[in-house]
Amino acid sequence: MAQPENLLYSKEHEWVKIEGDNAVVGITDYAQNSLGDIVYVELPRVGKQIEQFGNVGVVESVKAVSDLFTPIGGEVLEINDALENDPASVNRDPYGAGWLFKVKLADANEKNNLLSPADYDKIATE
Amino acid sequence: MTVSTDLRRTALHDEHVRAGARMVPFAGFAMPVQYTGILQEHDAVRHRAGLFDLSHMAQFVLEGPNVAEWAETLTINAIASMKPMQARYNIFCNPQGGAHDDTIFYRLENRWLLVVNGANADKMWRHVNANPAENVHLTNLHGKNALIAIQGPKSVEMLAPHTDVDIASVKYYFCAEGTVYGHPAVIARTGYTGEDGFELFVAGEHAADIWTALLRDHQAGGLEACGLGARDVLRLEAGMPLYGHELTETITPVQAGLQWALKTAKPEFIGRNALIEQMERDEYARIVGLVMGGRVPAREGYKVFLGDREVGEVRSGSMAPSVGGKNIATALVAKEAATAGTALAVEIRGAKHDATVVELPFYKRAK
Repeated sequence: MAQPENLLYSKEHEWVKIEGDNAVVGITDYAQNSLGDIVYVELPRVGKQIEQFGNVGVVESVKAVSDLFTPIGGEVLEINDALENDPASVNRDPYGAGWLFKVKLADANEKNNLLSPADYDKIATE
Repeated sequence: MTVSTDLRRTALHDEHVRAGARMVPFAGFAMPVQYTGILQEHDAVRHRAGLFDLSHMAQFVLEGPNVAEWAETLTINAIASMKPMQARYNIFCNPQGGAHDDTIFYRLENRWLLVVNGANADKMWRHVNANPAENVHLTNLHGKNALIAIQGPKSVEMLAPHTDVDIASVKYYFCAEGTVYGHPAVIARTGYTGEDGFELFVAGEHAADIWTALLRDHQAGGLEACGLGARDVLRLEAGMPLYGHELTETITPVQAGLQWALKTAKPEFIGRNALIEQMERDEYARIVGLVMGGRVPAREGYKVFLGDREVGEVRSGSMAPSVGGKNIATALVAKEAATAGTALAVEIRGAKHDATVVELPFYKRAK
């Protein structure tokens, strides 16, 4: 399955959309499908400094708790509050309404540590 | 998804894989944890019907004139009083009162069927053979016979056209012998979902035929293949214990709230003295239901607090679609924390979250 072309990816199945100095983060379609029905998402506080690949929260499906890692470091600018009432939007629309949080980038070079759509596709289709 | 090949396969394995089910290791078998999704499958069982492969559970055939007498000494519930074609929940205990396994006995016309948990199959086979008796013959059908469950309000109308048994007249916790799609089956009105339904004990070689025929004939009417993930949510809502969670070698049937299955009038059975003493002292930690106040799910192993004092731990937990989407859990807690209405807290990733003790079950179907 082809991955969205305008995003970068982590091995932990998160995506990043870099928009100037900021970035939007979410989990991939592969991740949401593997997790199954998502019932709770715990996100970092707005204002928190987070480090690339650090553990910043959890995503819980009916069956299991999974750690959430951030693919990019920086200051959390905004979190997707709508997930509190509708965590299933991560299942329905992982690249859109199911986004998780926005970050003010700490270091633009961190994107060099991420995977291209083609490279991520190899992991997601293994 | 791939599952390591040293796992055993049920007779329905190829059907699960063909349908795209997510297979996981469970009780030594590759088992489907979900097909389309746990919530959708849960909804099918509560409102239409779901089809489950439970062939990982072990079926032991018990034959001979002394089966009832023998089994009475190994279990806490009454057996000799069972009528022909009756089914009864029962528990095998250790001398300390802890549970070896929780099981169902089915009394057929000329033999008995004992169904034990898949995870306990080897342990239970050793246990029954370590306690032999004259005129009791045991056969282990684990991995040979299949078990298919159809569960949900439409179970009767979906199964009835394909069997020679008048299944509508089979009472809850009774069974009949007949055919399903022409194949011999024990058809039992039992289940583990809190809904009406049947469990079909069939030869492994006939399982795929019955499974595919039921789906072919009733998928349009709302029948869905369901995995063990949905089954776990369904049983938790219905307040049914799961071995390894609410019942273990150290959590007794008394602690699990299963006194209704404990017949202390029986003169002798393994665990009797310990269970009676535990009941009389009445100081034991016990299984309770919890409803969480917030949106964070409680999970197995999380600590439970009454005020600042740790009083127990969560044993099972899930979001519960049939309990208004709230997060529910069972917990083993000290007596003083066990009264319905008590406000407790569950510690989740370092923070305490409100929980209230409630009576079990969480969900009861409208009759």
